[in-house]
Amino acid sequence: MTLTASRPVSPPADDAHSSGGREFGPIRWLPRVLVIALLAFWVLVVIPRSETYAPFAADAVIFAIVGLSLNIIVGYTGQLSLGHQGFFGAGAFAAAYAITVQSLPFWSTFVVAAGVGALFAALLGVAALRITGLYLALITLVFGVTLQRSLFEVPEFTNGGAGQPAERPEWLFADGRFYLFCLAFLIGVVYIDYRLTQTKSGRALLALKENERVAEAFGVNVTSFKLLAFVLSGAIAGIAGALYAYRIGNVTGDDFNFTLALTFVLMVVVGGLGNRLGVILGATLFAVLDGYLLEEVGFLHSFTEQIFRTPNLAQYDAQFLGALGLLLTIVLNPGGIAQQIQPFTRWLSGKPFSLHGDSESGPAAVEGSHVRA
Amino acid sequence: MTPLALAPDTTYLAFEFSSRITTPVISGAINGAVYGLLGLGLVLLYKSNRIFNFAQGEFASVAAFTTYAGTAGFGLPKMPYVFAAILGVSAAVVVALLTERLVVQPLFNQPKVTLVVATAGTALLLIALEGFVFGAEGVGLDPVIAGDALTSGGLRVTNQGVFVVVVLAVLAALTALFFSRTKTGTAILAVSMEPTATSLVGIPVKRISALTWGLAGLLGGVAGILFAGNGGLLGPGALTAFALIPAFTAAVFGGITSLPGAFLGGVLIGIIQTLGARNIPESVVPDANQVVIFFVLLLTLLIRPAGLLGKET
Repeated sequence: MTLTASRPVSPPADDAHSSGGREFGPIRWLPRVLVIALLAFWVLVVIPRSETYAPFAADAVIFAIVGLSLNIIVGYTGQLSLGHQGFFGAGAFAAAYAITVQSLPFWSTFVVAAGVGALFAALLGVAALRITGLYLALITLVFGVTLQRSLFEVPEFTNGGAGQPAERPEWLFADGRFYLFCLAFLIGVVYIDYRLTQTKSGRALLALKENERVAEAFGVNVTSFKLLAFVLSGAIAGIAGALYAYRIGNVTGDDFNFTLALTFVLMVVVGGLGNRLGVILGATLFAVLDGYLLEEVGFLHSFTEQIFRTPNLAQYDAQFLGALGLLLTIVLNPGGIAQQIQPFTRWLSGKPFSLHGDSESGPAAVEGSHVRA
Repeated sequence: MTPLALAPDTTYLAFEFSSRITTPVISGAINGAVYGLLGLGLVLLYKSNRIFNFAQGEFASVAAFTTYAGTAGFGLPKMPYVFAAILGVSAAVVVALLTERLVVQPLFNQPKVTLVVATAGTALLLIALEGFVFGAEGVGLDPVIAGDALTSGGLRVTNQGVFVVVVLAVLAALTALFFSRTKTGTAILAVSMEPTATSLVGIPVKRISALTWGLAGLLGGVAGILFAGNGGLLGPGALTAFALIPAFTAAVFGGITSLPGAFLGGVLIGIIQTLGARNIPESVVPDANQVVIFFVLLLTLLIRPAGLLGKET
């Protein structure tokens, strides 16, 4: 009960305030419904039909699932995990191994991937629960790199180094349909995440972030809730890994390097820690930055090549923009994308449009938790 | 009859022992010296700012790349190695100072975790810039001193290797003396413990912070030039990928608050890593040296978080 005090905005009171003053007529809801319908049409109909966009859109959705999973650890419990590519990769290898080597049915590979992701997260969680803060960041970093360089190089899993194939079933061959398939998973994860923040466990996690000792004094079992956050996050990352395996079709250890772990952290921070929509938009931004913008458009690539006259890989463009975005976000705009789009989301939810927001605006008012980065 | 059969056996055993134990210990200690050098900078910034600097590996890379650019010319007249190395270390110091001014200072009152994410972002940014200028393939930097000090059997000790160990020992001793014997060193420690009170007694907190980061850049720069000169190609991010994790492990293992600990930890981690890599077959555990490092770090944090020589966590 007292734990709810950690949430700065109390939604019921807010609703009462806005609907009490003005009439809720068609003039107010029609433009909003139109905008939402247009966005939904674009996401559900236009993108799946496009041969060019659909694969990158699938990447964006998979990254968004990873972002939400990482957000449980970083955004809710306030711990930093730099090894998330380990859980993601473990899920990818587990799914590819299950479907190709063990010939398990397609759907069950997701259960296997989630289980393996959760298992690794639990192993790390049990070992690392006594370690907090910066030391936890360090040990997760080394954990992820160790998984990538060692376990993901075991010949049995990597098909002797050539990569483990992961073929989609026939009804998912089309990229557009696969994108919608991933989107369904994202919606499921958003729902789980939403339920988590609404339950006692979710409030306990937020309390941990605010102050571990106070939370403990109120009877929150710090150890088991941290472990719960780790395991849930690992399971979701494992599912995302399975989707990624089916997306790229052939899994190799190099796909899950340290830069990927950093990209995951960057997209969550740039999106807005603790904010669901912000994290999804941040993940989309980075997935598109990595894939579509640089591979297909290539304008930036030729631009940097002209300036520096060095043959370089497009990866550095994405890395440069991503890192710059992160530093600008942290230094100048700690609320991330979530804070930037707040006037628009507020308008969509039925309140008048205002760039200034209300008295509770700013990072602290972002739904879900305090934004601390 | 019996002696004849025994003789080949013992030479075989002797060979086994030297290739499995003696050689890895010596070459590991030399590899580890670079980890120790990089670790010195990490310990310095931990002592003064209570953070882990994930950009330390890239401060080192910047110095190595600049030194390479100086010796290779790049259109300008080629520089002697010494000048190029001085230029390289200066570049690392400048980058460290810029990081302090543009990233660390604005985040002074933020949680430490935020600052750590920011240093990781700085590392990524520097890797991308190195990629833009020098390409992805990597460059080869000459050793500071060419030639071998010792070659026997499978063992080869380069002059560079001996030089690295000496430089590490000298720098570790100098920085330790700096903290214990000079007023500036004490002021750095005071800032780390109580920034507000320190500024109240008239110590310029901002200037001290810049000084610390400059020093860290200097230590990183020296480490980078010596690492790149060990042979092999230096690509963008090479030091972050291959030296930063062992350096962190070395710093934590030796004691994250102890400068001599970084020296000891570096050498020991180098030895443990090389012993692991030589004695655990690739078919059993791929890339065993990375796995060994993970367990050393995990066990250190669980059993003795203060490290070998550290006094507090």
